[in-house]
Amino acid sequence: MGLSSRRAVYIPFPQAVPCSYILNMDDCLGINPIACGKCAEVCEKDAINYDDQGEVVTRDVGAIIVATGLDVYDPTEMDEYGYTRFENVITSMEFERLICAGGPTDGHFVRPSDQERPKRIGFIQCVGSRNPKIGRPYCSNICCMNTIKDTLLLADHYPDTQNSVFYQDIRASGKSFEDMFQRSKEAGTRYIRGLPGDIDEDPKTRHLIVTVENTTSGKLERHELDMVVLSVGVQPSADRDKLASMLTLSKTSDGFFMESHPKLKPVDAPTRGVYFAGFCESPKDIKDSVCQAGAASSRAGALLNAGEIKIEAITSVIDGEACSKCGLCAKVCPYGAITWQKGEVAAVVEAACAGCGACGATCTFGAITMRHFTDDQLIAQVRAILAEKPEDKVFGFACNWCSYAGGDMAGISRIQYPSTNRVIRTMCSARVSEEMVLEAFRCGAPVVLVSGCHYADCHYIDANRQTVKRVQKLWNKLEKAGVRPERLQLEWISAAEGQKFAKVMRQMEELRQTVTADEIAHAREALKPKPKKKPKTKEKEETAPTAS
Amino acid sequence: MATTTIESFRCMMCEHEYEEKVSKGEDVERSCPKCRSNSIRHLKKKKVAKPN
Repeated sequence: MGLSSRRAVYIPFPQAVPCSYILNMDDCLGINPIACGKCAEVCEKDAINYDDQGEVVTRDVGAIIVATGLDVYDPTEMDEYGYTRFENVITSMEFERLICAGGPTDGHFVRPSDQERPKRIGFIQCVGSRNPKIGRPYCSNICCMNTIKDTLLLADHYPDTQNSVFYQDIRASGKSFEDMFQRSKEAGTRYIRGLPGDIDEDPKTRHLIVTVENTTSGKLERHELDMVVLSVGVQPSADRDKLASMLTLSKTSDGFFMESHPKLKPVDAPTRGVYFAGFCESPKDIKDSVCQAGAASSRAGALLNAGEIKIEAITSVIDGEACSKCGLCAKVCPYGAITWQKGEVAAVVEAACAGCGACGATCTFGAITMRHFTDDQLIAQVRAILAEKPEDKVFGFACNWCSYAGGDMAGISRIQYPSTNRVIRTMCSARVSEEMVLEAFRCGAPVVLVSGCHYADCHYIDANRQTVKRVQKLWNKLEKAGVRPERLQLEWISAAEGQKFAKVMRQMEELRQTVTADEIAHAREALKPKPKKKPKTKEKEETAPTAS
Repeated sequence: MATTTIESFRCMMCEHEYEEKVSKGEDVERSCPKCRSNSIRHLKKKKVAKPN
Protein backbone atom coordinates (compact mmCIF):
# COMPACT_ATOMS: atom_id res chain seq x y z
CA MET A 1 0.00 0.00 0.00
CA GLY A 2 3.02 2.26 0.21
CA LEU A 3 2.27 2.93 3.87
CA SER A 4 5.32 1.09 5.17
CA SER A 5 8.37 -0.78 3.91
CA ARG A 6 8.30 -4.54 3.48
CA ARG A 7 11.15 -7.01 3.84
CA ALA A 8 12.19 -9.45 1.16
CA VAL A 9 10.73 -12.29 3.25
CA TYR A 10 7.15 -11.77 4.36
CA ILE A 11 3.71 -13.27 4.96
CA PRO A 12 1.34 -11.69 2.40
CA PHE A 13 -1.15 -10.68 5.11
CA PRO A 14 -1.81 -11.86 8.67
CA GLN A 15 -4.81 -14.02 7.74
CA ALA A 16 -3.14 -15.63 4.70
CA VAL A 17 -3.84 -19.30 4.06
CA PRO A 18 -1.39 -21.04 4.15
CA CYS A 19 0.27 -18.77 6.68
CA SER A 20 3.75 -19.19 5.24
CA TYR A 21 6.49 -16.82 4.17
CA ILE A 22 7.21 -15.66 0.65
CA LEU A 23 10.71 -14.82 -0.55
CA ASN A 24 10.58 -11.97 -3.05
CA MET A 25 13.58 -12.58 -5.30
CA ASP A 26 13.39 -9.05 -6.74
CA ASP A 27 14.36 -7.62 -3.35
CA CYS A 28 16.44 -10.53 -2.00
CA LEU A 29 20.24 -10.25 -1.79
CA GLY A 30 20.73 -13.98 -1.40
CA ILE A 31 21.55 -14.78 -4.98
CA ASN A 32 24.85 -14.37 -6.76
CA PRO A 33 26.95 -12.28 -6.81
CA ILE A 34 25.92 -10.87 -3.41
CA ALA A 35 25.21 -13.58 -0.86
CA CYS A 36 23.29 -12.68 2.29
CA GLY A 37 21.77 -16.05 3.16
CA LYS A 38 20.66 -14.99 6.66
CA CYS A 39 17.17 -16.43 6.25
CA ALA A 40 18.59 -19.80 5.13
CA GLU A 41 20.85 -19.84 8.18
CA VAL A 42 18.00 -19.40 10.65
CA CYS A 43 15.43 -21.60 8.92
CA GLU A 44 15.42 -24.84 10.92
CA LYS A 45 13.33 -26.67 8.34
CA ASP A 46 15.71 -25.89 5.47
CA ALA A 47 12.74 -24.60 3.52
CA ILE A 48 14.65 -21.93 1.62
CA ASN A 49 15.97 -22.75 -1.80
CA TYR A 50 17.47 -19.81 -3.69
CA ASP A 51 17.71 -21.83 -6.89
CA ASP A 52 14.01 -22.58 -7.00
CA GLN A 53 12.64 -21.51 -10.35
CA GLY A 54 9.17 -21.09 -11.76
CA GLU A 55 8.08 -24.02 -13.88
CA VAL A 56 5.24 -24.83 -16.23
CA VAL A 57 3.23 -27.74 -14.85
CA THR A 58 0.87 -29.66 -17.13
CA ARG A 59 -2.18 -31.27 -15.55
CA ASP A 60 -4.96 -33.23 -17.19
CA VAL A 61 -8.21 -32.00 -15.62
CA GLY A 62 -11.89 -32.59 -16.18
CA ALA A 63 -13.19 -29.23 -14.97
CA ILE A 64 -11.81 -25.77 -14.31
CA ILE A 65 -13.14 -23.23 -11.81
CA VAL A 66 -12.14 -19.68 -12.69
CA ALA A 67 -11.81 -17.57 -9.54
CA THR A 68 -9.37 -14.87 -10.57
CA GLY A 69 -10.76 -12.25 -8.21
CA LEU A 70 -10.45 -8.52 -8.58
CA ASP A 71 -8.14 -5.55 -8.82
CA VAL A 72 -8.75 -2.31 -6.96
CA TYR A 73 -9.28 0.86 -8.96
CA ASP A 74 -6.42 3.37 -8.85
CA PRO A 75 -8.05 6.82 -8.43
CA THR A 76 -4.97 8.83 -9.45
CA GLU A 77 -6.60 9.76 -12.77
CA MET A 78 -9.51 11.43 -10.93
CA ASP A 79 -7.52 14.59 -10.31
CA GLU A 80 -10.37 16.43 -8.58
CA TYR A 81 -9.92 14.22 -5.51
CA GLY A 82 -6.19 14.94 -5.22
CA TYR A 83 -5.15 11.36 -4.54
CA THR A 84 -1.31 11.21 -4.45
CA ARG A 85 -1.25 15.06 -4.42
CA PHE A 86 -2.56 15.31 -0.86
CA GLU A 87 -1.12 12.97 1.72
CA ASN A 88 -4.32 12.83 3.74
CA VAL A 89 -6.44 11.59 0.84
CA ILE A 90 -6.29 7.80 1.03
CA THR A 91 -8.21 4.92 -0.51
CA SER A 92 -10.52 2.57 1.35
CA MET A 93 -7.92 -0.20 1.01
CA GLU A 94 -5.27 2.01 2.64
CA PHE A 95 -7.79 2.84 5.36
CA GLU A 96 -8.20 -0.90 6.02
CA ARG A 97 -4.42 -1.19 6.43
CA LEU A 98 -4.36 1.76 8.82
CA ILE A 99 -6.99 0.34 11.14
CA CYS A 100 -5.68 -3.23 10.93
CA ALA A 101 -3.93 -4.49 14.06
CA GLY A 102 -1.31 -6.10 11.84
CA GLY A 103 -0.87 -2.94 9.77
CA PRO A 104 1.95 -0.39 9.72
CA THR A 105 0.56 1.54 12.73
CA ASP A 106 -0.44 -1.55 14.75
CA GLY A 107 -4.07 -0.54 14.34
CA HIS A 108 -3.63 3.00 15.69
CA PHE A 109 -5.65 5.23 13.44
CA VAL A 110 -3.49 8.21 12.43
CA ARG A 111 -3.38 10.43 9.41
CA PRO A 112 -0.31 10.08 7.17
CA SER A 113 0.83 13.73 7.15
CA ASP A 114 1.46 14.24 10.90
CA GLN A 115 0.70 10.88 12.55
CA GLU A 116 -2.06 12.60 14.57
CA ARG A 117 -5.46 11.02 15.01
CA PRO A 118 -7.95 12.57 12.58
CA LYS A 119 -11.26 13.68 14.06
CA ARG A 120 -13.16 14.78 10.96
CA ILE A 121 -13.21 12.11 8.31
CA GLY A 122 -14.96 12.20 4.94
CA PHE A 123 -15.79 9.13 2.87
CA ILE A 124 -16.41 9.68 -0.84
CA GLN A 125 -18.45 6.94 -2.50
CA CYS A 126 -18.46 5.65 -6.08
CA VAL A 127 -14.82 6.54 -6.85
CA GLY A 128 -14.28 4.51 -10.00
CA SER A 129 -17.79 3.07 -9.99
CA ARG A 130 -20.99 4.10 -11.79
CA ASN A 131 -18.99 6.53 -13.88
CA PRO A 132 -19.29 6.01 -17.65
CA LYS A 133 -16.92 8.95 -18.26
CA ILE A 134 -13.99 6.85 -17.06
CA GLY A 135 -15.34 3.68 -18.63
CA ARG A 136 -16.74 2.21 -15.40
CA PRO A 137 -20.50 2.33 -15.61
CA TYR A 138 -21.11 -0.57 -13.22
CA CYS A 139 -21.75 -0.54 -9.46
CA SER A 140 -18.94 -2.25 -7.54
CA ASN A 141 -21.50 -3.65 -5.11
CA ILE A 142 -19.30 -3.75 -2.01
CA CYS A 143 -18.25 -0.11 -1.40
CA CYS A 144 -21.41 1.19 0.32
CA MET A 145 -21.44 -1.54 2.95
CA ASN A 146 -17.67 -1.30 3.40
CA THR A 147 -18.00 2.41 4.20
CA ILE A 148 -20.95 1.82 6.56
CA LYS A 149 -18.86 -0.82 8.32
CA ASP A 150 -15.93 1.63 8.58
CA THR A 151 -18.11 4.39 10.04
CA LEU A 152 -19.48 1.98 12.66
CA LEU A 153 -15.95 0.85 13.48
CA LEU A 154 -14.75 4.42 13.93
CA ALA A 155 -17.83 5.35 15.99
CA ASP A 156 -17.16 2.36 18.22
CA HIS A 157 -13.41 2.92 18.71
CA TYR A 158 -13.29 6.73 18.56
CA PRO A 159 -16.68 8.16 19.60
CA ASP A 160 -15.43 11.74 19.23
CA THR A 161 -14.81 11.29 15.49
CA GLN A 162 -17.16 13.10 13.12
CA ASN A 163 -17.75 11.02 9.98
CA SER A 164 -19.28 12.39 6.78
CA VAL A 165 -20.22 10.21 3.83
CA PHE A 166 -20.64 11.81 0.40
CA TYR A 167 -22.76 9.56 -1.77
CA GLN A 168 -25.09 9.46 -4.77
CA ASP A 169 -27.08 6.41 -3.60
CA ILE A 170 -26.60 4.07 -0.68
CA ARG A 171 -27.13 0.52 -1.88
CA ALA A 172 -27.72 -1.52 1.26
CA SER A 173 -29.55 -4.49 -0.20
CA GLY A 174 -28.77 -7.66 1.71
CA LYS A 175 -29.50 -9.38 4.96
CA SER A 176 -29.27 -6.88 7.87
CA PHE A 177 -27.55 -4.31 5.64
CA GLU A 178 -30.33 -1.72 6.01
CA ASP A 179 -30.10 -2.21 9.77
CA MET A 180 -26.37 -1.48 9.64
CA PHE A 181 -27.04 1.66 7.61
CA GLN A 182 -29.56 2.89 10.18
CA ARG A 183 -27.14 2.13 13.03
CA SER A 184 -24.44 4.12 11.25
CA LYS A 185 -26.77 7.12 11.02
CA GLU A 186 -27.79 6.73 14.66
CA ALA A 187 -24.09 6.66 15.60
CA GLY A 188 -23.82 10.20 14.25
CA THR A 189 -22.49 9.67 10.73
CA ARG A 190 -23.64 12.44 8.41
CA TYR A 191 -24.81 11.26 4.99
CA ILE A 192 -24.57 14.04 2.41
CA ARG A 193 -26.12 13.28 -0.96
CA GLY A 194 -23.73 14.60 -3.60
CA LEU A 195 -20.28 13.72 -4.87
CA PRO A 196 -17.58 16.37 -4.29
CA GLY A 197 -16.45 18.33 -7.30
CA ASP A 198 -13.15 19.40 -5.79
CA ILE A 199 -10.80 18.78 -2.86
CA ASP A 200 -8.23 21.36 -1.78
CA GLU A 201 -5.66 21.39 1.00
CA ASP A 202 -4.82 24.05 3.55
CA PRO A 203 -1.00 24.12 3.27
CA LYS A 204 -0.56 25.13 6.93
CA THR A 205 -2.82 22.68 8.72
CA ARG A 206 -2.92 20.05 5.94
CA HIS A 207 -6.70 19.96 6.45
CA LEU A 208 -8.76 19.18 3.37
CA ILE A 209 -11.49 21.45 2.00
CA VAL A 210 -14.18 19.46 0.23
CA THR A 211 -16.56 21.33 -2.07
CA VAL A 212 -19.81 19.52 -2.78
CA GLU A 213 -23.27 20.30 -4.10
CA ASN A 214 -25.73 18.87 -1.62
CA THR A 215 -28.42 17.61 -3.98
CA THR A 216 -30.92 17.27 -1.12
CA SER A 217 -30.75 20.94 -0.12
CA GLY A 218 -29.60 22.16 -3.52
CA LYS A 219 -26.81 24.19 -1.90
CA LEU A 220 -23.07 24.34 -2.48
CA GLU A 221 -21.28 23.28 0.69
CA ARG A 222 -17.67 23.37 1.84
CA HIS A 223 -16.51 20.89 4.47
CA GLU A 224 -13.18 21.11 6.30
CA LEU A 225 -11.93 17.62 7.08
CA ASP A 226 -8.80 16.07 8.57
CA MET A 227 -8.78 13.11 6.25
CA VAL A 228 -10.65 11.90 3.16
CA VAL A 229 -11.15 8.22 2.35
CA LEU A 230 -11.91 7.45 -1.31
CA SER A 231 -14.24 4.48 -1.45
CA VAL A 232 -12.66 2.99 -4.54
CA GLY A 233 -14.41 0.64 -6.90
CA VAL A 234 -13.14 -2.70 -8.03
CA GLN A 235 -12.48 -4.17 -11.45
CA PRO A 236 -11.84 -7.59 -12.98
CA SER A 237 -8.24 -8.76 -12.73
CA ALA A 238 -5.83 -7.45 -15.31
CA ASP A 239 -4.80 -10.82 -16.75
CA ARG A 240 -8.36 -11.83 -17.66
CA ASP A 241 -7.79 -11.42 -21.41
CA LYS A 242 -5.09 -14.08 -21.41
CA LEU A 243 -7.32 -16.47 -19.52
CA ALA A 244 -10.31 -15.65 -21.75
CA SER A 245 -8.23 -16.55 -24.78
CA MET A 246 -6.98 -19.81 -23.21
CA LEU A 247 -10.41 -21.01 -22.12
CA THR A 248 -12.43 -19.40 -24.96
CA LEU A 249 -14.45 -17.30 -22.52
CA SER A 250 -16.49 -14.29 -23.47
CA LYS A 251 -16.68 -11.03 -21.57
CA THR A 252 -19.37 -8.47 -20.92
CA SER A 253 -18.83 -4.86 -21.96
CA ASP A 254 -17.61 -4.21 -18.39
CA GLY A 255 -14.88 -6.82 -18.76
CA PHE A 256 -16.34 -9.49 -16.48
CA PHE A 257 -16.59 -13.06 -17.70
CA MET A 258 -19.97 -13.91 -19.13
CA GLU A 259 -21.94 -16.81 -17.76
CA SER A 260 -23.68 -19.34 -19.98
CA HIS A 261 -27.14 -18.17 -18.90
CA PRO A 262 -27.87 -15.46 -16.30
CA LYS A 263 -30.72 -17.39 -14.67
CA LEU A 264 -30.38 -21.07 -15.53
CA LYS A 265 -26.60 -21.46 -15.63
CA PRO A 266 -25.20 -18.60 -13.55
CA VAL A 267 -21.92 -20.32 -12.65
CA ASP A 268 -21.27 -22.10 -15.96
CA ALA A 269 -19.03 -20.64 -18.62
CA PRO A 270 -20.22 -21.05 -22.22
CA THR A 271 -17.29 -23.46 -22.62
CA ARG A 272 -18.28 -26.77 -21.11
CA GLY A 273 -16.44 -27.85 -17.98
CA VAL A 274 -15.49 -24.29 -16.99
CA TYR A 275 -17.21 -22.61 -14.03
CA PHE A 276 -16.99 -19.22 -12.35
CA ALA A 277 -16.69 -18.27 -8.72
CA GLY A 278 -16.49 -14.79 -7.29
CA PHE A 279 -15.68 -11.43 -8.70
CA CYS A 280 -14.44 -12.58 -12.10
CA GLU A 281 -18.08 -13.06 -13.14
CA SER A 282 -19.60 -9.90 -11.62
CA PRO A 283 -19.09 -7.57 -8.64
CA LYS A 284 -20.21 -9.32 -5.47
CA ASP A 285 -19.44 -9.46 -1.76
CA ILE A 286 -17.84 -12.29 0.20
CA LYS A 287 -21.14 -14.00 1.00
CA ASP A 288 -22.21 -14.16 -2.63
CA SER A 289 -18.73 -15.25 -3.68
CA VAL A 290 -18.82 -18.11 -1.21
CA CYS A 291 -22.29 -19.13 -2.47
CA GLN A 292 -21.09 -19.05 -6.04
CA ALA A 293 -17.94 -21.00 -5.19
CA GLY A 294 -20.09 -23.69 -3.58
CA ALA A 295 -22.31 -23.83 -6.62
CA ALA A 296 -19.34 -23.98 -8.99
CA SER A 297 -17.69 -26.81 -7.09
CA SER A 298 -21.01 -28.71 -7.04
CA ARG A 299 -21.38 -28.27 -10.79
CA ALA A 300 -17.80 -29.39 -11.35
CA GLY A 301 -18.35 -32.38 -9.04
CA ALA A 302 -21.50 -33.37 -10.90
CA LEU A 303 -19.61 -33.28 -14.18
CA LEU A 304 -16.65 -35.26 -12.90
CA ASN A 305 -18.81 -37.91 -11.25
CA ALA A 306 -21.19 -38.31 -14.14
CA GLY A 307 -19.14 -41.04 -15.77
CA GLU A 308 -20.71 -40.29 -19.12
CA ILE A 309 -21.27 -36.87 -20.60
CA LYS A 310 -24.45 -36.16 -22.49
CA ILE A 311 -23.99 -33.77 -25.36
CA GLU A 312 -26.48 -32.06 -27.62
CA ALA A 313 -27.17 -33.83 -30.89
CA ILE A 314 -26.68 -30.55 -32.77
CA THR A 315 -22.99 -30.71 -33.54
CA SER A 316 -20.81 -30.44 -36.62
CA VAL A 317 -19.48 -33.37 -38.59
CA ILE A 318 -16.61 -33.03 -41.03
CA ASP A 319 -16.43 -35.07 -44.19
CA GLY A 320 -12.74 -35.83 -44.49
CA GLU A 321 -12.92 -36.46 -48.22
CA ALA A 322 -14.55 -33.11 -49.00
CA CYS A 323 -12.33 -31.13 -46.60
CA SER A 324 -9.87 -28.89 -48.43
CA LYS A 325 -7.60 -28.67 -45.36
CA CYS A 326 -7.84 -24.88 -45.37
CA GLY A 327 -8.46 -24.59 -41.61
CA LEU A 328 -11.00 -21.75 -41.88
CA CYS A 329 -13.49 -23.71 -39.78
CA ALA A 330 -11.00 -24.00 -36.93
CA LYS A 331 -10.40 -20.24 -37.03
CA VAL A 332 -14.08 -19.31 -36.71
CA CYS A 333 -15.00 -21.87 -34.02
CA PRO A 334 -15.58 -19.85 -30.83
CA TYR A 335 -15.06 -22.94 -28.66
CA GLY A 336 -11.84 -24.16 -30.20
CA ALA A 337 -13.73 -27.40 -30.85
CA ILE A 338 -12.14 -28.00 -34.25
CA THR A 339 -8.62 -29.34 -34.38
CA TRP A 340 -6.60 -28.69 -37.48
CA GLN A 341 -2.95 -28.79 -38.51
CA LYS A 342 -1.60 -27.33 -41.73
CA GLY A 343 -2.03 -29.83 -44.53
CA GLU A 344 -4.33 -32.02 -42.50
CA VAL A 345 -8.07 -32.63 -42.47
CA ALA A 346 -9.93 -30.77 -39.71
CA ALA A 347 -11.71 -32.77 -37.00
CA VAL A 348 -14.50 -31.84 -34.58
CA VAL A 349 -14.21 -32.54 -30.85
CA GLU A 350 -17.88 -33.31 -30.33
CA ALA A 351 -17.78 -32.91 -26.55
CA ALA A 352 -16.59 -29.34 -27.03
CA CYS A 353 -18.82 -28.41 -29.98
CA ALA A 354 -21.82 -26.33 -28.90
CA GLY A 355 -23.54 -26.38 -32.27
CA CYS A 356 -23.51 -22.74 -33.37
CA GLY A 357 -22.85 -23.72 -36.97
CA ALA A 358 -20.36 -20.96 -37.71
CA CYS A 359 -18.00 -23.57 -39.18
CA GLY A 360 -20.68 -24.99 -41.47
CA ALA A 361 -21.50 -21.56 -42.86
CA THR A 362 -17.83 -20.75 -43.40
CA CYS A 363 -16.94 -23.95 -45.25
CA THR A 364 -17.48 -23.32 -48.94
CA PHE A 365 -16.51 -26.88 -49.85
CA GLY A 366 -19.57 -28.47 -48.28
CA ALA A 367 -17.36 -30.52 -46.03
CA ILE A 368 -19.20 -29.66 -42.81
CA THR A 369 -22.63 -30.96 -41.94
CA MET A 370 -24.45 -29.34 -39.07
CA ARG A 371 -26.67 -32.02 -37.61
CA HIS A 372 -30.38 -31.00 -37.61
CA PHE A 373 -29.53 -27.77 -39.44
CA THR A 374 -27.87 -29.06 -42.57
CA ASP A 375 -27.31 -26.88 -45.61
CA ASP A 376 -29.76 -28.99 -47.59
CA GLN A 377 -32.46 -28.66 -44.95
CA LEU A 378 -32.09 -24.90 -44.67
CA ILE A 379 -31.92 -24.34 -48.43
CA ALA A 380 -35.03 -26.53 -48.83
CA GLN A 381 -36.82 -24.30 -46.31
CA VAL A 382 -35.77 -21.19 -48.21
CA ARG A 383 -37.10 -22.63 -51.47
CA ALA A 384 -40.33 -23.82 -49.92
CA ILE A 385 -41.10 -20.46 -48.32
CA LEU A 386 -40.36 -18.55 -51.51
CA ALA A 387 -42.01 -21.04 -53.89
CA GLU A 388 -45.19 -18.99 -54.21
CA LYS A 389 -45.48 -15.22 -54.51
CA PRO A 390 -42.01 -14.49 -53.09
CA GLU A 391 -42.42 -10.81 -54.00
CA ASP A 392 -45.04 -10.46 -51.25
CA LYS A 393 -42.85 -11.84 -48.49
CA VAL A 394 -40.38 -10.40 -46.04
CA PHE A 395 -37.91 -13.21 -45.69
CA GLY A 396 -35.55 -13.65 -42.75
CA PHE A 397 -33.31 -15.82 -40.63
CA ALA A 398 -33.49 -15.60 -36.84
CA CYS A 399 -31.30 -17.17 -34.20
CA ASN A 400 -32.93 -19.64 -31.85
CA TRP A 401 -32.07 -17.96 -28.56
CA CYS A 402 -32.79 -14.29 -29.07
CA SER A 403 -34.33 -13.10 -32.33
CA TYR A 404 -36.70 -16.00 -32.81
CA ALA A 405 -37.69 -15.71 -29.14
CA GLY A 406 -38.12 -11.96 -29.73
CA GLY A 407 -40.64 -12.84 -32.43
CA ASP A 408 -42.43 -15.07 -29.92
CA MET A 409 -42.42 -12.24 -27.42
CA ALA A 410 -44.00 -9.93 -30.00
CA GLY A 411 -46.64 -12.60 -30.59
CA ILE A 412 -47.53 -13.32 -26.99
CA SER A 413 -47.53 -9.59 -26.25
CA ARG A 414 -49.99 -9.18 -29.15
CA ILE A 415 -47.88 -6.48 -30.76
CA GLN A 416 -49.11 -5.72 -34.25
CA TYR A 417 -46.74 -6.11 -37.19
CA PRO A 418 -47.16 -7.01 -40.87
CA SER A 419 -48.09 -10.61 -41.57
CA THR A 420 -45.80 -10.78 -44.60
CA ASN A 421 -42.76 -12.01 -42.67
CA ARG A 422 -41.46 -15.55 -43.02
CA VAL A 423 -38.65 -16.50 -40.66
CA ILE A 424 -36.34 -19.51 -40.66
CA ARG A 425 -34.86 -20.51 -37.31
CA THR A 426 -31.16 -21.33 -37.00
CA MET A 427 -29.29 -22.02 -33.77
CA CYS A 428 -27.08 -18.95 -34.29
CA SER A 429 -27.06 -16.19 -36.88
CA ALA A 430 -23.53 -17.38 -37.70
CA ARG A 431 -25.11 -20.53 -39.20
CA VAL A 432 -26.55 -18.44 -42.07
CA SER A 433 -24.17 -18.91 -44.97
CA GLU A 434 -23.68 -16.65 -47.98
CA GLU A 435 -25.25 -19.33 -50.13
CA MET A 436 -28.48 -19.31 -48.11
CA VAL A 437 -28.89 -15.55 -48.47
CA LEU A 438 -28.05 -15.63 -52.17
CA GLU A 439 -30.46 -18.53 -52.70
CA ALA A 440 -33.23 -16.45 -51.13
CA PHE A 441 -32.58 -13.66 -53.63
CA ARG A 442 -32.42 -16.19 -56.45
CA CYS A 443 -35.82 -17.48 -55.37
CA GLY A 444 -37.22 -13.96 -55.71
CA ALA A 445 -37.07 -12.62 -52.14
CA PRO A 446 -37.43 -8.84 -52.30
CA VAL A 447 -35.66 -8.37 -48.96
CA VAL A 448 -33.72 -10.63 -46.61
CA LEU A 449 -33.20 -10.11 -42.90
CA VAL A 450 -30.47 -11.78 -40.85
CA SER A 451 -31.02 -11.35 -37.13
CA GLY A 452 -29.26 -12.60 -34.05
CA CYS A 453 -28.42 -11.88 -30.43
CA HIS A 454 -26.91 -8.61 -29.27
CA TYR A 455 -23.12 -8.79 -28.93
CA ALA A 456 -23.24 -9.18 -25.16
CA ASP A 457 -25.92 -11.86 -25.35
CA CYS A 458 -24.44 -14.19 -27.96
CA HIS A 459 -25.08 -17.72 -26.73
CA TYR A 460 -22.04 -19.02 -28.56
CA ILE A 461 -19.38 -16.75 -27.02
CA ASP A 462 -18.82 -14.44 -30.00
CA ALA A 463 -20.06 -16.44 -32.98
CA ASN A 464 -22.29 -13.58 -34.16
CA ARG A 465 -19.19 -11.54 -35.05
CA GLN A 466 -18.87 -13.98 -37.95
CA THR A 467 -22.38 -12.96 -39.00
CA VAL A 468 -21.25 -9.33 -39.24
CA LYS A 469 -18.25 -10.26 -41.37
CA ARG A 470 -20.41 -12.40 -43.64
CA VAL A 471 -23.07 -9.75 -44.11
CA GLN A 472 -20.37 -7.15 -44.91
CA LYS A 473 -19.06 -9.50 -47.61
CA LEU A 474 -22.56 -10.07 -48.91
CA TRP A 475 -23.26 -6.33 -49.20
CA ASN A 476 -20.12 -5.99 -51.32
CA LYS A 477 -21.08 -9.00 -53.40
CA LEU A 478 -24.62 -7.73 -53.99
CA GLU A 479 -23.36 -4.29 -54.97
CA LYS A 480 -20.89 -5.85 -57.40
CA ALA A 481 -23.70 -7.84 -58.97
CA GLY A 482 -25.81 -4.70 -59.41
CA VAL A 483 -28.28 -5.69 -56.68
CA ARG A 484 -29.27 -2.99 -54.20
CA PRO A 485 -27.35 -4.02 -51.04
CA GLU A 486 -29.99 -2.39 -48.81
CA ARG A 487 -32.23 -5.34 -49.63
CA LEU A 488 -30.16 -7.32 -47.12
CA GLN A 489 -30.57 -6.17 -43.55
CA LEU A 490 -28.92 -7.14 -40.27
CA GLU A 491 -30.49 -6.67 -36.83
CA TRP A 492 -29.72 -7.72 -33.27
CA ILE A 493 -32.94 -8.51 -31.42
CA SER A 494 -33.00 -9.97 -27.91
CA ALA A 495 -35.64 -12.36 -26.56
CA ALA A 496 -37.18 -9.53 -24.56
CA GLU A 497 -37.36 -7.12 -27.48
CA GLY A 498 -40.75 -7.98 -28.90
CA GLN A 499 -41.27 -4.31 -29.65
CA LYS A 500 -38.05 -4.17 -31.63
CA PHE A 501 -38.94 -7.31 -33.55
CA ALA A 502 -42.24 -5.73 -34.58
CA LYS A 503 -40.53 -2.45 -35.47
CA VAL A 504 -37.94 -4.24 -37.62
CA MET A 505 -40.68 -6.18 -39.37
CA ARG A 506 -42.56 -2.96 -40.12
CA GLN A 507 -39.37 -1.41 -41.51
CA MET A 508 -38.68 -4.51 -43.57
CA GLU A 509 -42.20 -4.37 -44.98
CA GLU A 510 -41.72 -0.71 -45.94
CA LEU A 511 -38.45 -1.69 -47.59
CA ARG A 512 -40.11 -4.59 -49.41
CA GLN A 513 -42.64 -2.22 -50.94
CA THR A 514 -39.82 -0.18 -52.51
CA VAL A 515 -38.38 -3.21 -54.33
CA THR A 516 -39.62 -3.39 -57.91
CA ALA A 517 -40.34 -6.50 -59.97
CA ASP A 518 -37.44 -5.57 -62.26
CA GLU A 519 -35.06 -5.52 -59.31
CA ILE A 520 -36.23 -8.96 -58.21
CA ALA A 521 -35.83 -10.33 -61.73
CA HIS A 522 -32.36 -8.80 -62.05
CA ALA A 523 -31.25 -10.34 -58.75
CA ARG A 524 -32.52 -13.75 -59.86
CA GLU A 525 -30.28 -13.55 -62.94
CA ALA A 526 -27.28 -11.70 -61.55
CA LEU A 527 -26.85 -14.00 -58.57
CA LYS A 528 -27.08 -17.24 -60.48
CA PRO A 529 -24.16 -19.45 -59.55
CA LYS A 530 -21.42 -19.31 -62.13
CA PRO A 531 -20.57 -22.61 -63.76
CA LYS A 532 -17.47 -24.04 -62.20
CA LYS A 533 -14.35 -23.83 -64.30
CA LYS A 534 -13.19 -27.13 -65.59
CA PRO A 535 -10.02 -28.17 -63.86
CA LYS A 536 -6.99 -28.35 -66.08
CA THR A 537 -6.49 -31.94 -67.06
CA LYS A 538 -3.09 -33.50 -67.17
CA GLU A 539 -3.94 -35.14 -70.47
CA LYS A 540 -3.59 -31.84 -72.36
CA GLU A 541 -0.24 -31.21 -70.78
CA GLU A 542 0.87 -34.68 -71.66
CA THR A 543 -0.27 -34.44 -75.29
CA ALA A 544 1.10 -30.94 -75.84
CA PRO A 545 4.18 -30.87 -78.05
CA THR A 546 7.34 -30.40 -76.08
CA ALA A 547 10.25 -28.35 -77.33
CA SER A 548 13.20 -30.51 -77.93
CA MET B 1 -1.59 1.76 -27.05
CA ALA B 2 -4.21 0.64 -29.57
CA THR B 3 -4.18 2.38 -32.94
CA THR B 4 -7.28 4.48 -33.50
CA THR B 5 -8.57 5.38 -36.92
CA ILE B 6 -11.54 7.39 -38.08
CA GLU B 7 -13.66 5.21 -40.29
CA SER B 8 -16.82 5.68 -42.28
CA PHE B 9 -20.03 3.77 -41.84
CA ARG B 10 -23.30 3.69 -43.71
CA CYS B 11 -26.66 2.67 -42.31
CA MET B 12 -28.28 0.30 -44.78
CA MET B 13 -31.71 1.05 -43.34
CA CYS B 14 -31.88 4.88 -43.41
CA GLU B 15 -28.80 5.53 -45.63
CA HIS B 16 -27.27 7.80 -42.99
CA GLU B 17 -23.49 8.05 -43.37
CA TYR B 18 -21.26 8.93 -40.44
CA GLU B 19 -17.70 8.69 -39.17
CA GLU B 20 -16.56 7.09 -35.94
CA LYS B 21 -13.30 6.45 -34.12
CA VAL B 22 -12.37 2.80 -34.30
CA SER B 23 -9.68 1.21 -32.14
CA LYS B 24 -7.80 -1.74 -33.56
CA GLY B 25 -9.24 -5.01 -32.29
CA GLU B 26 -12.26 -3.42 -30.62
CA ASP B 27 -15.40 -5.50 -30.31
CA VAL B 28 -18.31 -3.10 -30.47
CA GLU B 29 -21.92 -3.61 -31.47
CA ARG B 30 -22.73 -0.86 -33.93
CA SER B 31 -26.03 0.88 -34.42
CA CYS B 32 -27.02 3.86 -36.52
CA PRO B 33 -26.92 7.09 -34.48
CA LYS B 34 -29.96 8.27 -36.41
CA CYS B 35 -32.35 5.31 -36.64
CA ARG B 36 -30.69 2.75 -34.26
CA SER B 37 -30.62 0.06 -36.95
CA ASN B 38 -27.81 -2.52 -36.73
CA SER B 39 -27.40 -2.74 -40.51
CA ILE B 40 -24.17 -0.79 -40.49
CA ARG B 41 -21.91 -1.14 -43.47
CA HIS B 42 -18.24 -0.46 -42.88
CA LEU B 43 -16.92 1.78 -45.64
CA LYS B 44 -13.30 2.55 -46.49
CA LYS B 45 -10.69 3.54 -43.90
CA LYS B 46 -10.14 7.27 -43.71
CA LYS B 47 -7.33 8.57 -41.53
CA VAL B 48 -5.46 8.00 -38.31
CA ALA B 49 -7.14 9.78 -35.41
CA LYS B 50 -5.16 12.16 -33.24
CA PRO B 51 -4.78 11.01 -29.64
CA ASN B 52 -6.97 12.83 -27.11
